[in-house]
Amino acid sequence: MLRVENISHSFKTGNEWTKVLHGIDFTVNQGEMVALLGSSGSGKSTLLNLMAGLMKPLEGHIYIAGQDIVQLGENKLAEFRRKHIGFIFQAYELITSLTVCENVELPLVFQSVSPKHRRLKAMELLEQVGLKGKEDMFPSQLSGGQQQRVSIARSLITEPSVIFADEPTGNLDSKTEEEILAILLQLNKTLKTTFIVVTHEHEVADRMQRIFSLRDGYLITGDLRDADPVPEEAEP
Amino acid sequence: MKIRDISRMAWDQVKRRKVVTGLCMTGISIGCAAIIVALSIGQSAQAYVTEEVNRNFKMDEIMVSPGGGIPSPGGGGGQAGQQQENENLNPGKLTDEKLEIIRGFDHVVAASPFQEAGYLQMVTMDNKIGDVQVIVTDLSKLTHFDKTFSKGGGSGVQGTAVLNYSATLGLMDVSVRQNLFDQMNADPFNQELMNQYTSMQTVPSELYRKQIQFQMQDYSVPNGPLKQSSALQVTGILDLPAGYTQERATYEMKVIYISPETAAQLSKEMAFENGSAINLPEEGSYNTVTVKVDDVDNIKWVEQMIQKLQLTTSDNLYQQEMLKEQFDMIKMAALGIGVFILVIASISIIVAMTMSTHQRRRQIGIMKVLGANMRQIRNMFITEAALLGLLGGLLGVGFSYLIIMAMNKLIGTAGNGLTFFIPLMTLPVGLAFAIMTGVLSGIYPAISASRTDALTAIKRD
Repeated sequence: MLRVENISHSFKTGNEWTKVLHGIDFTVNQGEMVALLGSSGSGKSTLLNLMAGLMKPLEGHIYIAGQDIVQLGENKLAEFRRKHIGFIFQAYELITSLTVCENVELPLVFQSVSPKHRRLKAMELLEQVGLKGKEDMFPSQLSGGQQQRVSIARSLITEPSVIFADEPTGNLDSKTEEEILAILLQLNKTLKTTFIVVTHEHEVADRMQRIFSLRDGYLITGDLRDADPVPEEAEP
Repeated sequence: MKIRDISRMAWDQVKRRKVVTGLCMTGISIGCAAIIVALSIGQSAQAYVTEEVNRNFKMDEIMVSPGGGIPSPGGGGGQAGQQQENENLNPGKLTDEKLEIIRGFDHVVAASPFQEAGYLQMVTMDNKIGDVQVIVTDLSKLTHFDKTFSKGGGSGVQGTAVLNYSATLGLMDVSVRQNLFDQMNADPFNQELMNQYTSMQTVPSELYRKQIQFQMQDYSVPNGPLKQSSALQVTGILDLPAGYTQERATYEMKVIYISPETAAQLSKEMAFENGSAINLPEEGSYNTVTVKVDDVDNIKWVEQMIQKLQLTTSDNLYQQEMLKEQFDMIKMAALGIGVFILVIASISIIVAMTMSTHQRRRQIGIMKVLGANMRQIRNMFITEAALLGLLGGLLGVGFSYLIIMAMNKLIGTAGNGLTFFIPLMTLPVGLAFAIMTGVLSGIYPAISASRTDALTAIKRD
């Protein structure tokens, strides 16, 4: 489903190049829910951005649904993202001027799906994430947990091959975090959608089927559930 | 992405960003109003001047005079040429038959001879005199040539006449006039005398239903006789032309209109040894015919038809063409001013929209992450700019009506009949310029927005 092959990446700071990822290799199978665990500066966000096609790696290949996204140009990549990739952001990233339902529908707007069809689909998903009756509200009228549910519904509406969740519970209290994780696990189970959840929290990672841990840009393989706890500090 | 979705999203943004919308709309509306008002002023002034010129130069009339030359098969231009003595060999002669043919042409409203028969002294029954031009025409058809009667009308009876308003002004007793002239000759710089004379020139005489005569001295022989015509009954007085003052009318030609039959009789009565004081062409022919056409646009066609009768035509269309050239220049200048204002307005739109783009970077970033491509982002911004242009244009239309209303109120009656109006055709022109300005101004911000790096846009510090 998703194959990361020998990915290396560096950033230029002044005249200096700083290598942030070193030959990362892993594969995620269809319908798997995996965690990408790492502390601040470990390179997990960079790896997420590379896998989502928001950046291009200096070396290596990323295959999603059989397509090497490293080879795609910007417009092709936009089209690919539209069809195959879903996003859940730490800060929800809803468009405040649109209603809940319109936010969920948005990815389908870019696919020129008819208003009637996309509304029907959005309503169905909102029901699945427990937001029935809130479709005409604006994001500012919702709690953080509810906004994240909208974000989850939005990520699912295009029926993507893979959903990248970047610290999906990072802004939530523990009760709401538990609710959101339950929803994600339930959706993975029912829809068989592949989830890659980036987190620095062991408690979150432990709920996933597999964990890929990053430390200083290196992927640490093996059973990571017994590894040293990652310091709980906010990711920049 | 469907047009409906793009439009709805653009409309949402326009509604939401009230300050940017207000700024852009104000700029565009001023430019749009400037274009509409400028074009309207040009058009209103053109209509006013055209009407004035039409009234004075009669642009819907054709003057026909005898032509010359050998007729060619299928007709051809009957240009003025040498008159031939033998009427049978003179194809350019303006005859009754040709006049009837002209009357039968499409678009011809009326055709009548207006023959200048000479200048004579007119004497009233109370011995007042004035010099008038004698024009021979069909008195019953004077109204077909925009002549309106203040009193009476044209009569078909022989021995009747119609006077224009100017001909009723400044008639003086012979002895009074002679006395005044003598005094003025003796003291040519006496302003008081001059004022008195000028004032007397504006005094109208009541001549309706009165009798007048013509008189002329025969100067061809020493102490030649003073001949007087038989009395003519004045059956009608024409109106003072619209827009004319009494004073201005005194400078106009004083005209007496008589019928061809009356003219024939007077010609005999006023005959001298070396010819008559009333000059008339041979019976059944004319030296001038005026043709009234239903529309100025048909003048050329009717002229071509008349020329095929081997007659010479002339019109006053060149006046209109000259005016058109001048007004085209004025309109172009006005349009230029409007466009200049729009260019200035477009700078404000570019600035406002670029600011807006910067403020919305995060939103653009999210959209790109969710799959919007560069073209879709660009289209959204350009649609938004076009919408701003349209709204600004509509506001501009409202402004221009207010400005025109204010201008009409300002000039009031001082405009002497000039009223500003907004021709409907200027509205789409103004709106098109407004939308075009919006779109052109939106291109840079739209490109800039579409190039927003999604990752940088959504990154939180």
